[in-house]
Amino acid sequence: MLAPINESVMIAEIALDDFLPIFISSSLVLVFGAVYAIVFTFVKVGAFKPWVMPFGYLGWVLTAYCLYLMGSLMHVGEFTQKALIVTMIGYLFLPHAIYYMIDRVHEENEHEVVSDNS
Amino acid sequence: MASNHLTGVGSESKQLATWYFTFAAILFGAQLLFGLVAAIQYVMPGFLFEIVDFSVARMIHINALVVWMVFAMFGAVYWLLPDETGIETVGIKIGKLLFWVFAGAIVVVVLVYLLVQVGPATESSIWLIHEGREYIEAPRWADFGIVVVALGFVFNLFATGMKGKQTGIVTVLMADMLAFAGLYLTGMFFTDNISVDQFWWWWVIHLWVEATWEVYVGAIAAYGLITMIGAHRKVVEMWLWIEVAMLFGSGILGLGHHYFWIGTPEYWWEIGALFSALEPLPLVAMFIHVLYDWGKTQGAEEAKGNPASVINNKPAFTWFVLNAFGNFLGAGIWGFFHTLPQVNLYTHGTQFTSAHGHLAFFGAYATILIGMMYMAVQGTNGIKVMKSTKSTIAATWMIAGGVMGMGIALTIAGYVQVMVSRAQMGATWAGYFDGQSGMWFAQAMDWRLFMGAVTMLGFVFLAKDLLSIGKATHHER
Amino acid sequence: MAKRSVWSDNRFWQRSAAWVTGFASILLIWLTFDTSAQISMGTDADLQNGVTKRVPAPTVINYKITYEMDTVRGHEVPVIGEKEMFFGRDDWSEEEAAELLHLGKLGSQSKNCMNCHTLLGNGAYYAPDLTKAWLDPAWGPEGSLQSMTGKSSKEEAMAEFLQHPSQYPTHARMMPDLGITAEEAQGLVAFLKHMSSIDTNGFPRNFGKIKGAVHGK
Repeated sequence: MLAPINESVMIAEIALDDFLPIFISSSLVLVFGAVYAIVFTFVKVGAFKPWVMPFGYLGWVLTAYCLYLMGSLMHVGEFTQKALIVTMIGYLFLPHAIYYMIDRVHEENEHEVVSDNS
Repeated sequence: MASNHLTGVGSESKQLATWYFTFAAILFGAQLLFGLVAAIQYVMPGFLFEIVDFSVARMIHINALVVWMVFAMFGAVYWLLPDETGIETVGIKIGKLLFWVFAGAIVVVVLVYLLVQVGPATESSIWLIHEGREYIEAPRWADFGIVVVALGFVFNLFATGMKGKQTGIVTVLMADMLAFAGLYLTGMFFTDNISVDQFWWWWVIHLWVEATWEVYVGAIAAYGLITMIGAHRKVVEMWLWIEVAMLFGSGILGLGHHYFWIGTPEYWWEIGALFSALEPLPLVAMFIHVLYDWGKTQGAEEAKGNPASVINNKPAFTWFVLNAFGNFLGAGIWGFFHTLPQVNLYTHGTQFTSAHGHLAFFGAYATILIGMMYMAVQGTNGIKVMKSTKSTIAATWMIAGGVMGMGIALTIAGYVQVMVSRAQMGATWAGYFDGQSGMWFAQAMDWRLFMGAVTMLGFVFLAKDLLSIGKATHHER
Repeated sequence: MAKRSVWSDNRFWQRSAAWVTGFASILLIWLTFDTSAQISMGTDADLQNGVTKRVPAPTVINYKITYEMDTVRGHEVPVIGEKEMFFGRDDWSEEEAAELLHLGKLGSQSKNCMNCHTLLGNGAYYAPDLTKAWLDPAWGPEGSLQSMTGKSSKEEAMAEFLQHPSQYPTHARMMPDLGITAEEAQGLVAFLKHMSSIDTNGFPRNFGKIKGAVHGK
């Protein structure tokens, strides 16, 4: 009924011991990603002292590492590999871009009469 | 601040909203009750066997979930329309009539689920009893009813939006609700080809919960930030448009992550992987945005020498913050870690999906809709600054903690299932039960039941609080 | 009023949102056309001529189905082999087979299979996945489930189980009696056999790798 499995031609199998590291590292991708974005934003708005900033970038480094770990343990293909690298580089700039935009809007609206909410 | 929004008394639209919220809360209770039955059956398989079987309990559990959320979503729109447009909602009589039609139909559908349960393998079973398709089981006759009700709702929304002031929030809601109603049509046909069946079924489920519902949440959160903390409308609305771009940009093609294994071509692996990887980004952004606006508004008030909190509705704001956090946690983290095809091959169709479902539906939708219910309580009672009661705090902790606990327990169960049933045993009948019998799996199910009971108890506090908090004397009126 | 940059211009973002949504939707619709063509059901002629379809014709019930490693794609795919008896016949006509599958698909919905089992991995997780149930060694000639029912063929064993599930408990968690008739059971088994022939890109992985043995490799 079932043909014998020729292991050599199979898409690389995830090793049994690799499942837990995969699940944990992929969760940490987002946790560290959030740390980076939150620290960056809070330092910029002045809620955190400036010396905290390096920890934000450390968060990004850890995000990138976790994503790398996850990707290699999963044996992702070439396309996904490239997509993940681009995502990581993009993510480095994302909080900068978002902060820049929000800040511009606030500044440009500061002198207007706020009529609809006070 | 923002007191001009608290015009609950005297608006028919807001009165209708409270009807929707009330019925939604009742269905929320039903959802939890039947979820509890299903959870008990995992632990004691003989419980209600051949009386209310797991399939029936679960069908009601997930259907009540979808329907209470739709009810609360409609209610929230009726609530905010007068505030946003500056006029009374157009077609309020139709709205009220449709409420009764909708509520009546739901009662009939649930009674048929419970009393008839299954029918013969004929078309009439599909038309009259249920369609047997997860989440959209409602029988075909009810499908048509739902379409009529949704169209009436969308009509009211459009008519009001075009007659009154069409703010950014209203514009987003108009487009979003039209798509929401239209997508339901793609789930209303029968086919013998199960791959085609599931292909279109995901159009409804995915494009609802990972696209249109998320955008809806963005719009409601924007309304909440303006009314509750007096955030700057221009900023909030600009941000809303960015969110729409990010959510639809990643969410629409994120549909691909459901097309890995249902017979659809392999190119969906790449599409699904790429857009799923992008899906958490708007959730991170939404989370940061709430905190940013809160900090900024509070800071501006303090600079004016006004150290009091800018929040005029503590319970609702708590649920809104839980929403921003829960969306990121449940939809973001729990979604991302099993979304890439390489690992989804092993996790697809295990308790991981269930863990993700519980955390995401709760974190992304239940939270903000409960928050809207508290806003309605504030408005109908004419309260200027609403504060939490002991019940608010108990309900919040027990519900949020209970769902989180269920999510963790189900994650552990899913892990056992992946390791035993999928990675080692290759998903056969024997492999499946081998995974289910493991000690870790069994204990995880015990904990899930316990946490489910905690959630249910939290719901009792929530119901009590929603009914009584408006009468409490410690608010600023 | 301060000078506005494009980044804080509401109109700019509104248009961007519309463009992004429109672009994603058009791409999705285009892909839907392509996918729909690829997952439409094949014909009996395809089966006779050995044309591989992702979703074969209902007459696939006349053939033996196996799940084999595809060396090019690197995962298992269903392979349609020689003729095989299905409820004592291997000459189910196109109409008969289509009718049987129709009955089975209707049955799968009206009996609410999906709220305990998973089909193609979607559904509830209270009972085993049915995607490749037809290929499960447990239902095979030496399988425990076939011998339990006392039937001599896989399809008869499955049909018997479906009609009287609570007579054949396989676990503390039992399947309830859903009032499935003999005719409906035949349809459901045809539906399961057809589903096992769908190319699911290698899901479930390593199905039956351990030949259904509960312990050991």
